Amino acid sequence: MLYLYALTEHPTVLPTGTPLTAESLDGIDAVVGVVGDDKIEPTEQAILEHARVVDEITALNDAVLPARFGRGYADLDSLERAVAERADSLRAALDRVRGCQEFGLRVFSNSDEALSAGGSGREYMLGRLEARQRAERLADELHAPLAAVARTATRSVGATPHLLLSASYLVSRDAVDDFHAALRGLEDAHPELTVACTGPWPPYSFATAEVETE
Amino acid sequence: MSEARLPAQHEVTLLELVDRVLNKGVVLTGDVTLSVAGVDLVYVGLRVLIASVASLEEERA
Repeated sequence: MLYLYALTEHPTVLPTGTPLTAESLDGIDAVVGVVGDDKIEPTEQAILEHARVVDEITALNDAVLPARFGRGYADLDSLERAVAERADSLRAALDRVRGCQEFGLRVFSNSDEALSAGGSGREYMLGRLEARQRAERLADELHAPLAAVARTATRSVGATPHLLLSASYLVSRDAVDDFHAALRGLEDAHPELTVACTGPWPPYSFATAEVETE
Repeated sequence: MSEARLPAQHEVTLLELVDRVLNKGVVLTGDVTLSVAGVDLVYVGLRVLIASVASLEEERA
């Protein structure tokens, strides 16, 4: 069985010393490894190994669409059919991620104020509603300067008073310094928040044609 | 809701990695997919791991 790690732009530079191959399918390369049995066990070790291989491919190539974990194909024909079916949107996605890195962001509020709303049931509900609206306004305010330096961004909907913002940013390598500067600006402006930024990641969150971006 | 504790950076990183590898990334048709039950088990394992790291840290503090 062929196990899919990533789709890349032809020609692909493969990590040395690995048994990977790049199958060229109409300008799109599928980076695959051969796996023995027909079952892929979702162990923590297997997930981390997948992530490691995708990291290596991303380090060597400019446009990479990481594959989701655990996708195997019976043979080259079935993989070829699967790529051909979506070739146009895959090419568009490769264009979008070219030269970019992904950063993840989660912003937590240190305040317990939202949880301590007391009073009557009605007051409590109004308090909750107000806290949620405040959280959404703050989330917009935090997101805007980061999205402005990103090529594109995707945000999970619905800020909560505790987890204010959960978002991913696709940032051109040239703009990474600007992104970090914007991030430091937010941290300075909001010492009451915990800002957890992770990355650079391969562009997992921007690898599908259907990804909702803003 | 008992969520007063804030997650440490490395816990966030691990969750973000697993989230990306399992839930994002390109999906094509005609593939051999995993059983959902198996993936859930990984998540449960990670949450248990993260919860135990957190309680260890609290004990030390």
